[in-house]
Amino acid sequence: MRDWHPAVAAAEPSQKAERDPAAPLFGGVYRERFERILGRYPTKRAALLPVLHLAQEVRGWLAPETMTRVAELLDLTPAQVRAVASFYTMFNLKPVGSYLVQVCTNIACDLCGAGKVLERFLSETGTEPGAISADGRYTVVETECLGACGFATAVLINDRFYESVTPENVPALLAELP
Amino acid sequence: MTQPAAELVTVTIDGIAVQVPKAMTVIQAAEEAGIVIPRYCYHPAMSSPAQCRMCLVEVKGAPKLVPSCVQRVQDGMEVRTDSPAARKARRAVIEFLLVNHPLDCPICDAAGQCELQDYAFETGQLRTRSVDPKRVLGRDHVTPDVLYFADRCVLCTRCVRFMEEIAREPTLVVVQRGDRATIDTMAGELFEHPFSMNIVDVCPVGALVNEDFLFKPRAWDLDRFPSVCPGCAQGCNITLDTKENRVVRAKPRPHPEVNAFWMCDHGRKLLAGWVPGGERGERLEAPQIRDGDRLVAVSWPQALERAAEGLRQAGGPGRAIVSAAAANESLYALRKVMQALGFAGGAFRVPTGPTAVLEGFPKLQLRAERVPNAVGAALLGFRRSADLFADLRGRRGALLVLGDPLHDAPADFGRDAAFYLYAGSVASPAARNAHVLLPVTTFAEMDGTFTNFEGRVQRFTQALTPPGMARPAWVALSALSSRMGSGAMLDSAAEAFAALAAEFEPFRGMTYETLGFGGRITEAAEGAAAVTSGGK
Amino acid sequence: MAYPFAHPREVRIVSKHFGDAGARPVDGWVERGGYRAARKALPEMTRDQVIATVEASGLRGRGGAGFPTGLKWKFMPKDDGKPHYLVVNADESEPGTFKDREILRWTPHQLLEGAIIGAYAIRAEHIYIYIRGEFVDVIPVLRRAVVEAYERGFLGEDVLGTGLRIECTIHVGAGAYIAGEETGMLSSLEGRRAEPRMKPPFPAQAGLFGMPTTVNNVESLAAVPHILVNGADWYRQWGTEQSPGTKLFSCCGHLRRPGNYEVAMDFNLKDLVFDLCGGPRPGRRLRAVIPGGSSVPVLTADEIDCPVSYEGLVQAGSMVGSGGLIAMDDSACLVRAVRRMVEFYAHESCGQCTQCREGTAWAARILRRIEEGEGRDSDIPLLLDISENMAGKTICVLSDSAAAPIVSSIQKFEDEYWAHIRRRSCTAVS
Repeated sequence: MRDWHPAVAAAEPSQKAERDPAAPLFGGVYRERFERILGRYPTKRAALLPVLHLAQEVRGWLAPETMTRVAELLDLTPAQVRAVASFYTMFNLKPVGSYLVQVCTNIACDLCGAGKVLERFLSETGTEPGAISADGRYTVVETECLGACGFATAVLINDRFYESVTPENVPALLAELP
Repeated sequence: MTQPAAELVTVTIDGIAVQVPKAMTVIQAAEEAGIVIPRYCYHPAMSSPAQCRMCLVEVKGAPKLVPSCVQRVQDGMEVRTDSPAARKARRAVIEFLLVNHPLDCPICDAAGQCELQDYAFETGQLRTRSVDPKRVLGRDHVTPDVLYFADRCVLCTRCVRFMEEIAREPTLVVVQRGDRATIDTMAGELFEHPFSMNIVDVCPVGALVNEDFLFKPRAWDLDRFPSVCPGCAQGCNITLDTKENRVVRAKPRPHPEVNAFWMCDHGRKLLAGWVPGGERGERLEAPQIRDGDRLVAVSWPQALERAAEGLRQAGGPGRAIVSAAAANESLYALRKVMQALGFAGGAFRVPTGPTAVLEGFPKLQLRAERVPNAVGAALLGFRRSADLFADLRGRRGALLVLGDPLHDAPADFGRDAAFYLYAGSVASPAARNAHVLLPVTTFAEMDGTFTNFEGRVQRFTQALTPPGMARPAWVALSALSSRMGSGAMLDSAAEAFAALAAEFEPFRGMTYETLGFGGRITEAAEGAAAVTSGGK
Repeated sequence: MAYPFAHPREVRIVSKHFGDAGARPVDGWVERGGYRAARKALPEMTRDQVIATVEASGLRGRGGAGFPTGLKWKFMPKDDGKPHYLVVNADESEPGTFKDREILRWTPHQLLEGAIIGAYAIRAEHIYIYIRGEFVDVIPVLRRAVVEAYERGFLGEDVLGTGLRIECTIHVGAGAYIAGEETGMLSSLEGRRAEPRMKPPFPAQAGLFGMPTTVNNVESLAAVPHILVNGADWYRQWGTEQSPGTKLFSCCGHLRRPGNYEVAMDFNLKDLVFDLCGGPRPGRRLRAVIPGGSSVPVLTADEIDCPVSYEGLVQAGSMVGSGGLIAMDDSACLVRAVRRMVEFYAHESCGQCTQCREGTAWAARILRRIEEGEGRDSDIPLLLDISENMAGKTICVLSDSAAAPIVSSIQKFEDEYWAHIRRRSCTAVS
């Protein structure tokens, strides 16, 4: 299976657990993915979202230096990159824990008790919303509708999607994380 | 304009029928009908994102209100800007804008020239029904000179589009989204651009303000005078905003062929704080005549009498150094003095500096030639010189200096001349070597014209009261030349210009009236422009 | 096999293979009859015939607007020499809606086949599938399917041996509801903020990269292969004249059996809630139903005896929208529910239009204040007036979407608001 087909170069799951804030943009296999992404669009600018995903995958968050480097690579100004990066909630403009726990608290999940799930995640990890836990492992945030409303509560942890999460199964779910 | 005859359509706006080109938008057509539809994001020089939704109007047959800034006119279209629905929509936009607005008009620079204030009054929507705490975003620099007050911002994005579409350096952007959105630069960075301060002009409210102007005068305390920027050969049309006989700031005055809606930061900085005296004590405020080693202040008639006599005694043709920042009228009056002596040549120099082009309107440039009237000086028979002092070395006879303060002149400048007349506004060391010193006005203290890089003759008007006894150079020099039997005493700048136009072919047929404030291009301009730009 | 629940009264066309992992790989899909429509359409039918068939079927856009799919394709210019694009809207993010995610994760080739046929019909050389970045579990499934489709010659330089070139790229979103709006999606695909654009120009005239573009929802495209194989009349055996065929309803909230149900478009909404979804949880009474995602007006339990057709739901006072059915039982506080939805719109407003940027956030603050017992008598007329000032005045309909639940909930559950304002209590039963 040629899983590296250029058509899907932008579709790699982002938010992997291992990240290096100082990793080069973009070297080795990431260089190849970057090139393949560029080849799929008639303008360089159109590659901005996939390339920001790629940068975040490598470095974990989009520091100003990271955005500036992406701007250079795509012939944009750093401000243009910031304008776009700050528009989309999945781009982390500040560091997050190794596991970014996103709990859907939108209407369907809220009706089914998402607030308690969120509380449980916060108490289990000992954090405030958006903060990094003392051990650097967790950041817990509220997120808007994850599109799994029939399976409330929906939770996203890095590149894993969890459905039907209840406050009771939060501890086990956290314990399972590598 | 030079477009081919456009197809015309008839539209009715609030009952007023107007014929306009088919390509026009409703907001433009309304202006033809004398109706200014309130707007924030719309700006005639930039794209219309139709996002402020202030210019919504009712179009007969349309199911919803339409944004007049992007709606094209159609033949037979009936538009109402004053219908109950349109009025309610405008009031609503104002109310929404006021929800988080700090209402800090008493300390806001834009008060008195603020489109949020204006439209709030116009719509009668002076307050909001919001009782909840306001969102507070704060303020920050976006350039070293410009401050951004986020809470006053209406997110019209004119400034963003100026940088993107006109400056073509998208360094200013909208960050975040929804009601957290603000205008910003790259995190932690300021941007610099030679035309950056135009973002303050396009801001309809007090969100972007010039730090130099901050908390100083109130807009309603200012007097405004149409003028021409003396900062370079471009000749940007400007307004001088003055208070207490001081230029507080210069703002661009629209001219479709010279500067559109813009001017550069160099010009603004040159003019901000422009006062008649310059450095205190350096300004020449009274006529002076030499008495041995001393200079003695005298009356104008005494000074002129002494000058006429001195020049007559010096005999032979005179040589002159003129400033290319002097008005055409003043240069002309000097020519008349020299004619009385038998003209032997006059020279001017052109200081230069780095250039900057406004990419979105490339005709507008901060030009290398940092004087406003080099072309005019050339058309009036003066010669551009690379080394004024070398040219003069060893020459005797009469020496006339107009305007150039000669700060860089040798200490003994003019000492070898038989008679040295200095007409200028600065009592520099070189000026103090003169036999007679005549105090003349700067461009801001007089009416006159400059001829820009392309030979366009443009009028400027008096914005400040001259200090002491200073007079426009054309007044002083025409009084002198008439004493010497060359030409009449000129009574007004218009008369001076008319005399000039009668005598100098390139200006033939021009009068202040025909120039208006758009100016006119001299026929000989192209050749002269090529000559004056030769030294670049 | 069904997922997670199935019901005999459903008409499973698009959802037939939900829960059937064997339908995911290309071989499994072909075994189940997949790519028959593509094989039929590409060599045998002209583009006009494809469009005519889809138009005759009466298929309407399933993303929310309900615009006829065939007509949308017909608007694309012919012989203009420009590149055309097909953009697949897989940015499903309307609260209450989770149908496209199911289509993509169980039957990715169903979507691809529909997209390939659509691309053929509108002369698109390139299909961009704009998928939500949050769909981390679905993206690998789709990725594998696209690679398979290339390997089998359904995509690439020579599609099905016809010499036709159709490329396909998966484009991953990054967290913005407004990217699901047609023109917001185009802005986002171009690497910009997902800010909607004024129409005209319509995407068919000047869309992605300024070129003629069609944006279709996943569910709309997934229905296309079935229509081509079986014909327009076959599709029209279900539903009504104005709402032919079947539609997926994502049912969630306070229900015994939440999940996706595919029903004929004349199916009764009450039966959908009580029969298919099993009604409210034990011991609870149904209070309110939002039939089409959080953007559509809320209905009371008494108002749901109506067909789920486009016209039927309009007559009942709501809309089909995206088909995201949110049920609320008597434990739900309507003020809280509406506040939560309006907060969502405030969070997702792109911030361009004044009414939306300021209005959504202002309304959310008022609603929160009412919920917390600090409401004023004047808040109800104020909320209605804010809603009126937001609706129909902006570039896109996000602010209309925020206004809909406010207005309908005040109309239908005013007592709930007064309970909070006057008595600092709530009519919800805990």
